[in-house]
Amino acid sequence: MKQTRREFIKTNAIVATAAAAGVALPGLQSAEAAGSSNIRWDKAPCRFCGTGCSVLVGVKDGRVVATQGDPDAPVNRGLNCIKGYFLSKIMYGKDRLTQPLLRKTNGKYDKEGQFEPVSWDEAFTLMADKWKTAMQEKGPSAVGMFGSGQWTVWEGYAAAKLHKAGLRTNNIDPNARHCMASAVAGFMRTFGIDEPMGCYDDLEHADAFVLWGSNMAEMHPILWTRLTDRRLTNPHVKVAVLSTYEHRCFELADNGMVFTPQTDLAILNYIANYIIQNGKVNKDFVANHTNFALGNADIGYGLRPTDPREQKAANADKAGGSKPISFEEYAKFVSEYTLDKAHEISGVPKKNLEELAALYADPNVKVVSYWTMGFNQHTRGTWANNLVYNIHLLTGKISEPGNGPFSLTGQPSACGTAREVGTFSHRLPADMVVTNPEHRAKAEHIWKLPEGTIPDKPGFHAVLMQRKLRDREMNCYWQMCNNNLQAGPNINEEMLPGWRDPANFIVVSDPYPTVSAMGADLILPTAMWVEKEGAYGNAERRTQFWHQQISPPGESKSDLWQVMEFAKYFKTDEVWPEELLAKMPEYKGKTLYDVLFANGQVDKFPLSDLNKGFENDESHAFGYYAQKGLFEEYASFGRGKAHDLAPFDDYHAARGMRWPVVEGKETLWRFREGYDPYVPAGEGVRFYGKKDGRAVIFALPYEPAAESPDQEYDLWLSTGRVLEHWHSGSMTRRVPELYRAFPDAVVFMHPDDAEARGLRRGMTAKLATRRGELTAKVETRGRNRPPKGLVFIPWFDAGRLVNKLTLDATCPISKETDFKKCAVKVSKA
Amino acid sequence: MNIAGVVVRARPSLVTQVEALLNAMVGVEVHAHTEDGRLVVTIEEESDRGLADIMVGFHDLPGVLSAAMIYHEYSTDEDAA
Repeated sequence: MKQTRREFIKTNAIVATAAAAGVALPGLQSAEAAGSSNIRWDKAPCRFCGTGCSVLVGVKDGRVVATQGDPDAPVNRGLNCIKGYFLSKIMYGKDRLTQPLLRKTNGKYDKEGQFEPVSWDEAFTLMADKWKTAMQEKGPSAVGMFGSGQWTVWEGYAAAKLHKAGLRTNNIDPNARHCMASAVAGFMRTFGIDEPMGCYDDLEHADAFVLWGSNMAEMHPILWTRLTDRRLTNPHVKVAVLSTYEHRCFELADNGMVFTPQTDLAILNYIANYIIQNGKVNKDFVANHTNFALGNADIGYGLRPTDPREQKAANADKAGGSKPISFEEYAKFVSEYTLDKAHEISGVPKKNLEELAALYADPNVKVVSYWTMGFNQHTRGTWANNLVYNIHLLTGKISEPGNGPFSLTGQPSACGTAREVGTFSHRLPADMVVTNPEHRAKAEHIWKLPEGTIPDKPGFHAVLMQRKLRDREMNCYWQMCNNNLQAGPNINEEMLPGWRDPANFIVVSDPYPTVSAMGADLILPTAMWVEKEGAYGNAERRTQFWHQQISPPGESKSDLWQVMEFAKYFKTDEVWPEELLAKMPEYKGKTLYDVLFANGQVDKFPLSDLNKGFENDESHAFGYYAQKGLFEEYASFGRGKAHDLAPFDDYHAARGMRWPVVEGKETLWRFREGYDPYVPAGEGVRFYGKKDGRAVIFALPYEPAAESPDQEYDLWLSTGRVLEHWHSGSMTRRVPELYRAFPDAVVFMHPDDAEARGLRRGMTAKLATRRGELTAKVETRGRNRPPKGLVFIPWFDAGRLVNKLTLDATCPISKETDFKKCAVKVSKA
Repeated sequence: MNIAGVVVRARPSLVTQVEALLNAMVGVEVHAHTEDGRLVVTIEEESDRGLADIMVGFHDLPGVLSAAMIYHEYSTDEDAA
């Protein structure tokens, strides 16, 4: 009996693996096919990165017991990475939270008290009281929410609506601000519309791949596997990898380049110059589809306005400004970025730089550029995005199979939720912005709200929220679906003081007692992943749905339920001015829940529309198919506006679809006739995000980092991730196998740098910056090999808060923090 | 008890060496390989804790370019052990 059971499972494993590898193994039959298992299998996108792999989730007796790569999924074709492989265990950490917890002393809320269980009603009553008090004293900008690129589509949409339309504050921002904001700003500036034009199918069409600040092998392993397959089965294919230290991608690289931090800007301009100097500009494409502009330079570093670096910057308050120029003026601008200069600034050998530039310049080589945090977490992150687009636009290598720039995402719905539904402090659904009166009017119309409901100024972005908490200008803060007290920059100076200030009330919704939860005043226990019905949108514009497959533990509730239920605790009369209510007196005395969710649209679909055989806790709680109503209301923003989503029910049947989905057909390459239905016949290419259909090539210089090594703090500090752990480790560190595989953060450094400080591999080092210090074991071998002058440390380890060290400098345009560059001193502990 | 199915990709010229190295690891079994470098591998592991170690170890074998998980099932049932 024992043998039989083991062999049965093993046979399943072999059959699934052979199928995914495309290997025929005669004589083996899947036990699954034989129907002898009690496991119910159903699809769900992976909970972790932005790749959007589909996994089959096996449920037995109300518990997830198995997962396998989904063989029918176009993204991962049956494969999973190590994190995806342990997905079945992320819900079952021993310290899972199961009831709301409030800091109390003698039965009453006390900022200095101990956490005690409370009911949801007690939690929301106290919260609403704090919110109303703050809003009465200081207005709506005294409250805010910090949300997530891991929210489901409807969670982000409901949260954005509650804030922008209900509480009338734009103080909502997602943690995607820390990871994707520069990509968003880059897309909007160059193309006037967000998100990549290409898709993962490019992996099988390109002749060359260039990785700019992306450790794809560890952070996007499944896409890396597809890239590896392409490289190995097509010997002409070339792989170029650029980074500030060597990592696993260098093993496959034909041209591996380690550059001095921040100098990617110079390399990008050199490539543009090379293309022009060698007569490789695609003249027709440039003449018909592009404009040129000179962007403002000397734009500061997004620090507090009192910082000398801001006061000195000429254009700190006009960071996004630009003026039109000619091609000739642009060519002159980049002409100073010669091979000699690029080499001198970056430290990359000339031969490697030329080889890289030649790849882009050769009209017969199809090139895809990939980037992640190396570009985005950059004080010139928007520029870096603009500059890589320049190269693809100059050569016309864009918007067609195998040719294009592609921003990889770090979170499962940074695109589908954080960006698309409008959870940023300046945005509304479908790329609209709060500063545009027409956009506000459209949102108010769809949401059936009186004119003037939505505030016309951007709210506080991620870093600014923390500063405003510290300055007591914002007093109520609700953090959902992320771990910002570990993930945000400069914890000691700019975060913790605001969180623990008695003037402020901090709420954290999370499944686990993270660093953030422990720093809060009220913790709300949260249902996660397949404990609720969900939808994510991945990096290639693919929207994917899943069913609720198990019940959450104890009193845990999804973020969606929390947001909608909390809206019941506010009456319009309490938070809207009289003159606004006078425009729609029928809303007087109603709750925000009534106005925002029981509005005849969100509550339109009956429970009988639910898929049979699956739970749906939120819908049963509210009495209608909440996810469907929210999705359809949201989708009405984008249909006919090049953001078309398919009807709700189609997504439960499909392995996702890439928007715009027009007449049931997804779009693989945008802006190109024949692929994109929004390009009129005969135009060939149209960048329709811009009114004149032309993308913008920006002249932007190399400028130094906010903080560079000096005599005292003599090394660069770069932070990042590792394969085994996802972001702050709040889920993966609770999987015993993953915890053991990489238990503690180590500091990767060059052996010579270690030796010069009396350190050897395995010894404990002290890392100190101007803002904080910590200790970590030294690693001089292994997967990451920094050059002399730079150390790398991953930030997943809650026992070593790496962000005590980092500086809260941001790209002044995108407001995204540069977690990759500050100055550190390393010594023997 | 943990059982996992893994596709390993190796440099084609080193696939037989990689197969031998994998088969030499405790609890690891190669069921098939192809000439272009794909290997069908299972891992069986009694304790909860060693599995990821084994998998991470794959990356350190010379010639291995990637290892992707396909299937994972675990059980705490008495009869499964």
